[in-house]
Amino acid sequence: MDEVFRALADPTRRSLLDELYRQDGQTLTALEERLPMSRFGVMKHLKVLEEAHLVTTKKRGREKLHFLNPVPIRLVYDRWVSKYAEPWAATLTGLKHQLEDG
Amino acid sequence: MEKMFEIYIKTTPERLWEAITDSEMRQKYSFGVGIRSDWKEGSSYEAVHPGAGIRISEGKNLEVDPPRRLVQSFTALWSDEVQSEGASRVTWDIEPVGDSCRLTVTHDELREGANNELYGGWPMILSGLKTLLETGELLTTPGSLRYSGGEAFGQVEARS
Repeated sequence: MDEVFRALADPTRRSLLDELYRQDGQTLTALEERLPMSRFGVMKHLKVLEEAHLVTTKKRGREKLHFLNPVPIRLVYDRWVSKYAEPWAATLTGLKHQLEDG
Repeated sequence: MEKMFEIYIKTTPERLWEAITDSEMRQKYSFGVGIRSDWKEGSSYEAVHPGAGIRISEGKNLEVDPPRRLVQSFTALWSDEVQSEGASRVTWDIEPVGDSCRLTVTHDELREGANNELYGGWPMILSGLKTLLETGELLTTPGSLRYSGGEAFGQVEARS
């Protein structure tokens, strides 16, 4: 999980994730055009995101497409919410359940 | 539109395949939804919530290659909105990596700007699948038990 926190600690990398959230499956060239950064800079940040599995890639012909992988963020949430916030969160989901069932 | 979801799970391809295709196991990490099929290529499947008795999705098994690859067409049925999106496609790819498996779920053939309810549940489902296979336990964080019915809530209370 260290890689995930490290990858998310950088605002440029977060903006890359936001860009993929807006439009998934982009090439390096497309991402480079969207961000005020050199091709090398985008490549470097994408590599960190890929190592943290926050970005997953797929080849299509000659192109390499980049996809936002939200799963590690969910794992962080499940790991930390369950440890620190479960008592109140469970109460809230229990209450919601009760109210919805009448 | 295409969406990809990737997760590493410490398990064997065979156990992972079983967790994906066994209805009882599937209910434990997939919002309480089970799945019925004979798992033959070309045959159909149906995902049903046994507690609520409603059909969640249906489709065909386009490719069945245990324990490596499963391709299914997917039509969501849980509301009129999602049903109107029509059929999309879900591919499960299992690749052994060391003592773990890399599982990739690709949800494609989605309409551009498709309702995110169609694919928004995957991170939680995969997180729950990882928890189940690695610890044998159910994921109990908020949201993961949504729609799973009273039985799952009872299990949480019994454990805590």
